[in-house]
Amino acid sequence: MSTIESTLAPVAPPKARAKPGLSPIDRDERRLGFALLAPAFLLLFGVVVYPIVDLVVTSFQLNNLAQPWMGTPFVGLENYGRAMSDDRFWEATFHTGLYVLVTVPGAVVVGLGLALLANQPFRVKWPVRLGLLLPWALPLVFAGLIFRWFFEYTQGLVNNALLMVGLPAQAWLTDPTLAFIAICIAIVWKTSSFVALVLLAGLQTIPRSLYEAAEIDGAGKLAQFWEITLPMLRPAIVVALIFRTITAIQTFDIPFAMTNGGPGNSTETLAMYIHKTTIDFLDLGYGSALAVLMFIVSAILTAGYLRYTRRDPSARGH
Amino acid sequence: MTALPKPKSMVWLAALVVAANGFFPALWVLFTSFKTEAELMRLPITIWPASPTLDNYVRVFVDQPILTFLFNSFMVALLSTVLCVTVSACAAYALVRLRVPMPNLILSVLLAVAMFPLISLMIPLFQTMRALNLLNTWPALILPYAVLSMPVCTLVLISFFQDIPRDLENAAMIDGCTRLGALWNVVLPLTAPGVFTAGILAFVNAWDEFLLALTLSPRVASRTLPVGITLYQGEFSFPWPIISAALIVAIVPISILIAVLQERVVGGLTQGGVKG
Repeated sequence: MSTIESTLAPVAPPKARAKPGLSPIDRDERRLGFALLAPAFLLLFGVVVYPIVDLVVTSFQLNNLAQPWMGTPFVGLENYGRAMSDDRFWEATFHTGLYVLVTVPGAVVVGLGLALLANQPFRVKWPVRLGLLLPWALPLVFAGLIFRWFFEYTQGLVNNALLMVGLPAQAWLTDPTLAFIAICIAIVWKTSSFVALVLLAGLQTIPRSLYEAAEIDGAGKLAQFWEITLPMLRPAIVVALIFRTITAIQTFDIPFAMTNGGPGNSTETLAMYIHKTTIDFLDLGYGSALAVLMFIVSAILTAGYLRYTRRDPSARGH
Repeated sequence: MTALPKPKSMVWLAALVVAANGFFPALWVLFTSFKTEAELMRLPITIWPASPTLDNYVRVFVDQPILTFLFNSFMVALLSTVLCVTVSACAAYALVRLRVPMPNLILSVLLAVAMFPLISLMIPLFQTMRALNLLNTWPALILPYAVLSMPVCTLVLISFFQDIPRDLENAAMIDGCTRLGALWNVVLPLTAPGVFTAGILAFVNAWDEFLLALTLSPRVASRTLPVGITLYQGEFSFPWPIISAALIVAIVPISILIAVLQERVVGGLTQGGVKG
């Protein structure tokens, strides 16, 4: 602040602009503080702020790399209007919403289950810990490829397991509904382990004495879960839910690896449609408009997260 | 009164379920990677490879320049981690210790900006890198990856800096250290575990990223591992034994990393609470 003030009011005497109680040493520290914050903000400006401005500008242009002779004329809201009447955009939005609605609660429920199972007094801790860490550390694409292999029609593990128990093999990756289910299973597997790690840390902060007291009062295991475990885990669950939601809106890698959006466009997400529009069809203008629409939704959710963390410092891990 | 100890078998079963859930997919791929194409065509499918072969692994290295992918991934992840941790550590220290006004607001702005969806950044980054002739280069990925991990690194480092008693720094400064000297000689050695934890998370984030790598590095020789792995499939064919072997080659380095550093990774994840 002092640097801004000194450039704005160079005529003011130096003593006058110093806040009362701010010693010269404090002012030095503050200046150093700004200097140390500068690299972060410089990086954010170059990688995020400037590109976002560029994105918004491009979204108002006709900008197609396949038609360079057209130039990049300003076309107002034409790209946005086109999106509103583009069935594929609405379908992709619908699919993305479905992925969010299925995989976010799915990952939290499975993650909670894994966390409860992992919250035991194991003498050897590494198999369980690594069992939770490995899915988290794998690239999403790898998870997609592995599950594509599981759901393969003739040699895949899933269909062969079905055949073994006398059920018919299913066209997992070529039937629209089944492909959606298969992708959701892969996403839940890949993302639930992160949720489990966060919830496990939450579980370990619940004092044992609460359970002992409940035991004395005659509460059963189920009652203890509903009355103690879930309420005490609430902050951790909220954090996990919000983070999963923010990443689920951007779902790309796993459907890309498993079906590439097919059959037809039945499993295509908004992120995949934006990628195809810009990188395959080279229509930067229209792709930018789609991306702007998408980041508006994301920004609203991120703001929700930040409000929550500011209200509850424990969610930031302090 | 304490609860009765749970039966040992139940505890074992719980451990088995969690471990199997995590390891089984990778194990299945490992088994597949030793099978011949002919064995895969046979029904019913086998679990153990009937006649284990290393041919698939040879093909992995012959068919695609996977060592180049590994090298690209490693360098991009390492350099972006160094950049990210340096920048985040400076910011975190300024927010915790130096008297910048409204540190909470600054932190919120920093997090909000850094958490913008990558898909929205993809198009302008593609345009900019194309204009700057930076497509297919490491910096095109290093810069965005540093931002990608900035929230988690900053949060982890803030919590570590907060745990260091102010008196230690003050003592060093009374002894004649400058503020930066105190940061370098006193604070950083004490926060080394935090810096390290933040670094691992940033490294894994960068190692795993796919969308920007796919978009900003279209040339085969500059691809990173996650994108390179998708090159083993043909237009209509999926040579599963080779893809499986490639996956194993790709999974091994990161598995070793997290196996060695597992306690730190778990600590960092639960402290920063970031990444899905």
